[in-house]
Amino acid sequence: MASNMSSDLIWECTRGQSAFLCKRKSAGGVQFSRDPLNLVNKHSRKYDGFLSDKAIGINSSDKSIVLTTKKADKANKPASLLQTSSFKATTPARNLYRSIVNSTVKNGYRADLRAEAVSRASAIKRSQRPVRADRVTKARGAKARKEKEVSSE
Amino acid sequence: MASRPTVTVISADGSASEQTHPLPEVFKAPIRPDIVQTVHTGMAKNKRQPYAVSEKAGHQTSAESWGTGRAVARIPRVSGGGTHRAGQAAFGNMCRSGRMFAPTKVWRKWHQKINLNQKRFATVSALAASSSPALLMARGHQVSTVPEVPLVVSSSAFTDSAIVKTSAALALLRAVGAGPDVEKVKNSRKLRAGKGKLRGRRHRQRRGPLVVYSPEEDGKDLVRAFRNIPGVETSSVYALNLLQLAPGGHLGRFIVWTSSAFAALDKIYGTTTEASALKKDFLLPSALISQPDLPKLINSSEVQAVLRPVKGGSITKRAVVQKKNPLRNMQVLLRLNPYAAQYKKEKLGQQKVEQDKPAPMPEAFGTMLHEN
Repeated sequence: MASNMSSDLIWECTRGQSAFLCKRKSAGGVQFSRDPLNLVNKHSRKYDGFLSDKAIGINSSDKSIVLTTKKADKANKPASLLQTSSFKATTPARNLYRSIVNSTVKNGYRADLRAEAVSRASAIKRSQRPVRADRVTKARGAKARKEKEVSSE
Repeated sequence: MASRPTVTVISADGSASEQTHPLPEVFKAPIRPDIVQTVHTGMAKNKRQPYAVSEKAGHQTSAESWGTGRAVARIPRVSGGGTHRAGQAAFGNMCRSGRMFAPTKVWRKWHQKINLNQKRFATVSALAASSSPALLMARGHQVSTVPEVPLVVSSSAFTDSAIVKTSAALALLRAVGAGPDVEKVKNSRKLRAGKGKLRGRRHRQRRGPLVVYSPEEDGKDLVRAFRNIPGVETSSVYALNLLQLAPGGHLGRFIVWTSSAFAALDKIYGTTTEASALKKDFLLPSALISQPDLPKLINSSEVQAVLRPVKGGSITKRAVVQKKNPLRNMQVLLRLNPYAAQYKKEKLGQQKVEQDKPAPMPEAFGTMLHEN
């Protein structure tokens, strides 16, 4: 990146309009971000990953969880910018959180995003859990008697 | 964020070549979205054609007001009879078939004069912004497959009219990683809403990469090769236009440079101290602050040295906190009464008061008490 560029400057250029920004009039004018490197999908200086040197992205891709980080020294080389690692759906939740935290926060890589990273991983994990079918309810009272009659006939 | 003095030249097959080129000074120009936006607004107005309603519209009737006393409004009314039009109001902007309010005139001020220095500032600012992948992505370009930004393709790919056919041009764009951006444009083509459809603006679509070439070295055949690829535009490096460098006034156009065009940038724009060879009286603007990285500024030893130390350090009293009940919250109790720790440790609260039964009173006391 040239010497005239910084994350702060890019943020000032993109805080009003950006392809990632999603503005809505509802709920007091919420501003969301479509950035895959944004852990809370909120348009803000701290969470928008595309403008910072280091950013963490956690996303789902068919039944697995993909952890993406940015290589700070490759800021001008988009093709080799991202480092990804994926976790199988069978990875226990605690192991998942531990490895995410160990590979990022514990290495001094965006220590401010620890809670956000873990809670996003947790939310994706929850969404990937199979949906349990509702139990068939047992008929009671008059309905039960009626069913019994029908079956005995 | 170390400054990156050189840019790798990408060869025609998309691999990095041995060749590198120092980053032209123009990419260190200050980035000013406000200036780019105002200049763009002005420049966008300079291609307009005059339009107006007919001078006579709404006035082709001999209407006269009926005056007061007829219990109708004093607006001019069409004279005569024998038709429904007679007696209807005319002329006013509120009337059916009246003239519009403030009828548009062909002598409106259609064009804007923009100061040359401002235009040049906006152009170099937009060029500088095109070297930031983050700004490219924020503009909506698909650059995740691009090996390097700014993207410089070796001019050897264009020499001897190598790119004459659109298929060759498309193959080149795909090879250097601009394929997804071209694809995005292709998929974005939509029918325009409204009357524009009838006025030669039937479809709207995104903008793709801008191919900047040097006409002397690269030839002009590539223009025809690229022109039928949707969204892709070409421009000579000597005639860069802000409307193409920052479409919509938004910074960060994805530019594919040919290496000869990239090399020509220093000649065209000069440096902050050395006047440009081709532009009269032009020096590159320099940034007001040389270090735009705020955390770096704040954490620098110069700033940290003059800051007063944090008051109170780790035990600073917080301004507004919820009051805690010391009888329930042990930590708060300890703060108020350090003895509480020892009191609790020795279980003084649970101990029975050690005392013997009171000694019985001497018998004389009883008798004396009950004496009548």
